[in-house]
Amino acid sequence: MAKVENIDLRMNIVDLVRRGNGGHIPSAFSIVDIIDTVYSDFLKHDSENPDWEGRDIFILSKGHGCAALYVVLHKNGYLQQKDMDEYLSFQGILGGHPDRTKVPGAEASTGSLGHGLPFAVGIALGLKVQKKSNRVIVLVGDGECHEGTIWESALVAQSLGLDNLCCFIDYNGSADQILPHPNIAKQWEAFGWGIHEIDGHNPDEIRNELGDFYKRSEGVPTAIIANTVKGKGVSFLQKHGPWHYKVPDDKEYEAIKEELQS
Amino acid sequence: MTQDLRSAFPDTILEVGKEDSNLVVLVGDIGHFALQPFAEACPGRYYNVGILEPTIISMAAGMASVGLYPVVHTIAPFLIERSFEQLKLDFCYQELGGTLMSVGSAFEYSTLGGTHHTYDDIALVRSLPGSEVIYPASPKELNLLFKQTYANGNLTYIRMTRQDHGVDFSDDKIQFGKGILVKEGCDITLIAAGPQLKNIMGSLELLSNAGIDAEILYYPTLKPFDAELARQSINKTKRVLTVEEHIELGGLGDQVLRAIQGIDGVSMDNLCIPDHFLRNYGTYQEHCEKLGFTPQNITNMALKLCNMNNSD
Repeated sequence: MAKVENIDLRMNIVDLVRRGNGGHIPSAFSIVDIIDTVYSDFLKHDSENPDWEGRDIFILSKGHGCAALYVVLHKNGYLQQKDMDEYLSFQGILGGHPDRTKVPGAEASTGSLGHGLPFAVGIALGLKVQKKSNRVIVLVGDGECHEGTIWESALVAQSLGLDNLCCFIDYNGSADQILPHPNIAKQWEAFGWGIHEIDGHNPDEIRNELGDFYKRSEGVPTAIIANTVKGKGVSFLQKHGPWHYKVPDDKEYEAIKEELQS
Repeated sequence: MTQDLRSAFPDTILEVGKEDSNLVVLVGDIGHFALQPFAEACPGRYYNVGILEPTIISMAAGMASVGLYPVVHTIAPFLIERSFEQLKLDFCYQELGGTLMSVGSAFEYSTLGGTHHTYDDIALVRSLPGSEVIYPASPKELNLLFKQTYANGNLTYIRMTRQDHGVDFSDDKIQFGKGILVKEGCDITLIAAGPQLKNIMGSLELLSNAGIDAEILYYPTLKPFDAELARQSINKTKRVLTVEEHIELGGLGDQVLRAIQGIDGVSMDNLCIPDHFLRNYGTYQEHCEKLGFTPQNITNMALKLCNMNNSD
C-alpha cells in the first residue's frame, strides 16, 4: 500500500470514535489530509481567539466527517483533551456533527447536507460587503453534490464573483454508488468556477492549489476536485461497505494501527 | 413615515439602511423595483439573488455570522415553507439573527391558487426555537416593529400584508412582544391578528346594537405572545373570539387557548382558515366573505358565544 500521511491524526480519529462508540471513520480519513493542510499552512486563525475578525473561515459542509475536523482543531489548540475524551457523551461539546455554538473553531453547524456551501457563499459575500480580505474555504462531499442547494450556490457564487471562496469537492466516489456525476469537474466548470484537480491525500498538491487560491483575485470562485479514497490508509476500511459508520473492536483496532504504521 | 402599507417596507428599509451600514437585503426576484431606492442609497448591500429561496436563506445566515443584519424578502410560501430546514438549521440552530419579510400573506394572492397561498407560516416559524413572529397591519407598525427587532440577534418573521386595518395607534403602544388593548368592554373579548382588526372594529356597532359591550385586543406580535393581556381580559369577560387569516393549528387562537388555561368557565371560538385548501380565485374580499371574515359573521359568532342568536 502507498505511504499514507497523517498517521497520528488518523489514529486520533480511530481513538476518538472508539472512545465515543460512534463516528464515520472512512469519511474522516477521506478528508483529514485536506483539513490538516488548510489549518497548518494557510488559514489565518487564532485558537486563543476563535472569533478573531481577521480570521479566515473553514467550513466542513459534510458534517459527518467531523472526527477529522475535531482532531485538527485539537492539534491546533482549539480543543482540549477533556473535550476529546467527552466526544459523544451527554455533557460533551463534540457530537456526531459539529455544533458552532459549542465547538471553538467550528464555523458552522453542519450535518444536513447542502447547507455548508450556501452558508459559506453568504460569508464570502458578507466579507466582500465589509470590504475584508479574509478567505473562505469550504469542503463538500461528492455525494453531497446531489443536493440542489449545492448547484444553486455554485451558480450564485460565480454570479457574484466570489474569488475569496474556495470549495474542495471530496471526490471519494460516494455518489457513484447511487447516482453518479457524469463529470463532476465539468459540472463545476459549467457553473463558472475555476477548476483544479488534485490528489486529495497529497499535501504538496493541496498546498500548491491553496497557494494559488490565496493569490487569486480575478472574480472567479475556486473549485478543487480532490480525488480521495474513503478510508484512505487502511485497506479494509476503504470503499463503501459496512465501515461507513462502524466502531472497530480491539482486534480491528490493532489491524488498523498495523496497516497505518507499516 | 409613509401612510401606505405597500410602500412601508421599502421606505423602512431605506430609512434604516441609510443609518445602519450592517443592513443587507437579499430578495428572490420579488420587490426588486420597489427596493431600488435602497439599492441606490446603499450600494453593495442589495442583492436580487435569484429564484433559489433555500440558498438565499443559508446565505443570509452566513452573512449574519460575520456581523451583518440580513433581510430576506420574497413570497411567503417560498420564504417559509420551501426554506424551512434552512430557517431551522442555518438561523435558529446556529443562533443567528435575521429578518424574513414576506409578501402574499395568507390568500392575498387571491387569483393565484394554493401554490402562492400560505396559511401555516405563523405556526411553522413559531415552532422554531428562538424565533419571533410579527404581523403588522399598518405602516407605522411595520416601521416601528422592524426597527425594534432587526438587530436583536434572533430570527424574526414579519408577515407583511397589503391590507391596512385602519386603526391609528400611538407609537408607545406599538411595542415588540406586546398586545394592544384597543377598546375596553365587559361582555366578550374579541382578539385580532393582522388586518382582521378592521372587521372586528366593523362589528362593534352591530354588537352594540345587540346590547353587547365587546373588549378588543390586537396582537401585532405573535411570538413572543403577550399572554397576560389576553388572560386579564378573558378572566373578566369569560368569552373570547379570535380572528386570524391562518389555520387553527399554531396561530393566534391556539396561543389564546394556552393563555387561558386555568380560567374556569370560558367560552371560546376561533374564526380562522379551515383545514382545506382554498381553491377559489377572485378577490381578497371575496375570499374573506366566503371564509366569514366579515363584520356580520364576527357579530354572529360573538352573539352565539354570548348565548344570543342573531337572525341576520
